[in-house]
Amino acid sequence: MDEIDAILRAASGRAEEAEVFFSTSESIGAELSRDRVRIGQAGHAMGLGIRVFAQGRVGASSTNDPGRWEACLDAALAAMRLADPQPWEGLPMPVALPGTPLALDPSLSPAPATVAGLLASMQEGAASHPEAVVTAGSAGLSRSHVVVANTHGLRYEETETHASCSIEAIAGTSTGYEFASSHALDLDPRWVGEQAAFFAAFGAGGEPLPSGTHDLVLSPLALASLFEAVLLPALVGRNVHAGRSRLAGRIGERVADARLSLFDDPHRPMGPGATWFDAEGVPTRRLDLIRDGVLEGFAYDLRTAYRYGAASTGSAVRGGYGGAPSIGFHTLVLEGPVSEVMAKPAVYVRSIVGAHTANPISGDFSVEVSNPCMVEGGAFVAPVRTAMWGGNVFDLLDAIEGVSAETRVVGEMVLPALRVSGQHLVG
Amino acid sequence: MVRYWDLRHVAGETTTIDIDNGVIESASTSFFDRAVIRVLGPSGWGVVSVDNYRALDLDRFIAEALALAGLTGEPVELADAPHRVLPVPVPSDDPRQYELEEKTRLLAGIEAAARGESVRNTRAVYSERYETVRFASSEGVEYAYELGRSGFNVMAVAEGDGVVQMGYERRHAVNGFPLRTGVPCGEKARETAVALLGAKAAKGGRMRVVLDPELAGVFAHEAVGHAAEGDLVREGNSVLAGRIGERIGVAGLTIVDDPSLPGFGFDPVDAEGVATVRTEVVRDGVINALLHTRETLAAVGNGLAGHARGMPGEVPLVRMSNTFVENGDSSLDECLAECRDGILLIGSRGGQVDPGRGVFQFNAEYGYLVEGGEPGGMVRDVSLSGEILGTLHEIALIADDRRMHQGYCGKGGQSVPVGDGAPHLLLENAVVGGSGRD
Repeated sequence: MDEIDAILRAASGRAEEAEVFFSTSESIGAELSRDRVRIGQAGHAMGLGIRVFAQGRVGASSTNDPGRWEACLDAALAAMRLADPQPWEGLPMPVALPGTPLALDPSLSPAPATVAGLLASMQEGAASHPEAVVTAGSAGLSRSHVVVANTHGLRYEETETHASCSIEAIAGTSTGYEFASSHALDLDPRWVGEQAAFFAAFGAGGEPLPSGTHDLVLSPLALASLFEAVLLPALVGRNVHAGRSRLAGRIGERVADARLSLFDDPHRPMGPGATWFDAEGVPTRRLDLIRDGVLEGFAYDLRTAYRYGAASTGSAVRGGYGGAPSIGFHTLVLEGPVSEVMAKPAVYVRSIVGAHTANPISGDFSVEVSNPCMVEGGAFVAPVRTAMWGGNVFDLLDAIEGVSAETRVVGEMVLPALRVSGQHLVG
Repeated sequence: MVRYWDLRHVAGETTTIDIDNGVIESASTSFFDRAVIRVLGPSGWGVVSVDNYRALDLDRFIAEALALAGLTGEPVELADAPHRVLPVPVPSDDPRQYELEEKTRLLAGIEAAARGESVRNTRAVYSERYETVRFASSEGVEYAYELGRSGFNVMAVAEGDGVVQMGYERRHAVNGFPLRTGVPCGEKARETAVALLGAKAAKGGRMRVVLDPELAGVFAHEAVGHAAEGDLVREGNSVLAGRIGERIGVAGLTIVDDPSLPGFGFDPVDAEGVATVRTEVVRDGVINALLHTRETLAAVGNGLAGHARGMPGEVPLVRMSNTFVENGDSSLDECLAECRDGILLIGSRGGQVDPGRGVFQFNAEYGYLVEGGEPGGMVRDVSLSGEILGTLHEIALIADDRRMHQGYCGKGGQSVPVGDGAPHLLLENAVVGGSGRD
């Protein structure tokens, strides 16, 4: 974008430092309604975010009209004057980064025919369980470009591609859902369709479960929703120092089963958030959060790091161009003791209704388990009726029996299925 | 062949102020401009979403959308529906007459009120959004209006004896300025967080519960509202499909969605130009009407259009707006007396529903054990779940003290402002979840 240099030049006279984030994206998608394509969609998105800094004060503003960058810069400067000063040691200087794209499939272009093909393959897969019917589905392809630049001459650019598909099916009042998401066009839409229809068909007519203590196998989907609600926020440096994390002050202590490790691996090729630099231009690196059950560290952006005497871990992320970057994760990987998690009898929890209602600070939750079924000998044995599950996310980390060898990407996480013992269900 | 097109262009400004533990982290204004162009081709929809829309490009976007409509095979028809734009309520207290500095000072006062003994973190966030909505369609319908929403939330985190608990309050309004009178919310967040330090974890099981108006409103939204959305019904993904005229709950139970009310879910006109109206989803215990867009009304019938809502630049979906249980003739005291032994549940930390399975779950902020008809000890982390088709029959008493609360509801990746409300309700045989043990 031509305006980037103009913005940085204009800002440098009025603030000590400035940063510009500019993103553009082209996307194509289509949606199924029952057995037919109901809608074809395209998106042309762009956005500009400006941050300015002086004497420890920071101001931000954004717009998706680059022609209005002057008003946007004025708003960022006004915001800067209002903010309280905090310790600040400067935006990053440019360094040489590897140029290899980490999240780009050059062959992926947002073409309508490709999207239609994904939907058709999901439908074919779903047809392998004719007891279930498809209720809705979607497929999408996108190609996006981001630029991060600052007044120290830093200018990084990255192009990434994305493909996704998802489908919902129902048999009676038993529902099934599956999805796939990747930077490359390597999805298996037939499998996605087959899985959704399987869970819908298999879940019909389950018996109620006796209330009491059970072993559970949490699918990567179920695990991801609990981690997102509780564990990830507890590992964010800002929450830790603000007194909003139960893990505060526990670095070096054992917080999980000694066989469990959790780390952010931003350089994993085609990882969900794979990138060489974070949202404020800090080079990314591997970040160990829990190693062999011991809490190793937290995630920081520049602002939180300067304030609390830590170093940025390259963990600044942006949900879009708007506002300021926040602390997040790129490709979060969970590793544990691999075993046949479905060998001994257990209740398999496919997904959870209401994970976002968990208490993000204490970790206590009380949720509804969806598509539960009994598993044994590595196979799904029988469906069970829905049940309530009460527990605590932090305690779960210590109740681990094993993890599956197979992993999958859910959001920014790469997760196995997890077997836990001693969980309380109300049938 | 273009059978129909419409354009919805939304542009405006957002202001956000974030104060964390006494530090003004940010106080900033940003700008947005998004549009969505929908075209009905020979069968289904083609849609283009675009940032930074320019009217000169309309013909090009219509052509692009028409090409995308070529992907579709679903024959879409649009029902006729009346067009009308309601006047936007005039604010008694317009947020735009206050400078950013003044708003920051007011928010700081609320955040300060949340501090106190045992409180180790406080945070308050103000958000304000003013938007101008412009609509035009091939049917010659054109309108423009300006609408603003503003409000805040405040959180207190308390710690004692290794226990960490939080209190959370929020107030939002259409064309109003709740920030100016928000200090009691800061105090309430502090009191809740500190009181919860002494609360016990709730024990799960089946029991009688009394729901406060906020939680009972979420109950109406999750247990009934979503399943009444015409798009889910059309997909076959709602247990309410084909049940118009069936008794779903007790006599006297009426559940309404009404986007024409000036609550937090207010729309002067819906996102496809249709007049917003009151829809009685449940009337006197019987499933009465579904919520619709023009498309789902044509496909499914039984209900009213006027419930299309969309985020700027996004395809409108069938959405709830102001959803509530009408008053009955009981009272909180009667509900507690009739409950005898159970739990009184207060406030909401949100909920979720699977309308196809007919199962919902939602979480209270806290509760009180009811013993011998009297509220007693405080409990925390308590949730409620149930099945849509059975639960409404279990409503034993409906009080006459309805209040509305403000929140946001997510569906299909879009979040829209909603109001939920109800009077106190007594529910028999409720499935309560909690992490407490004997």
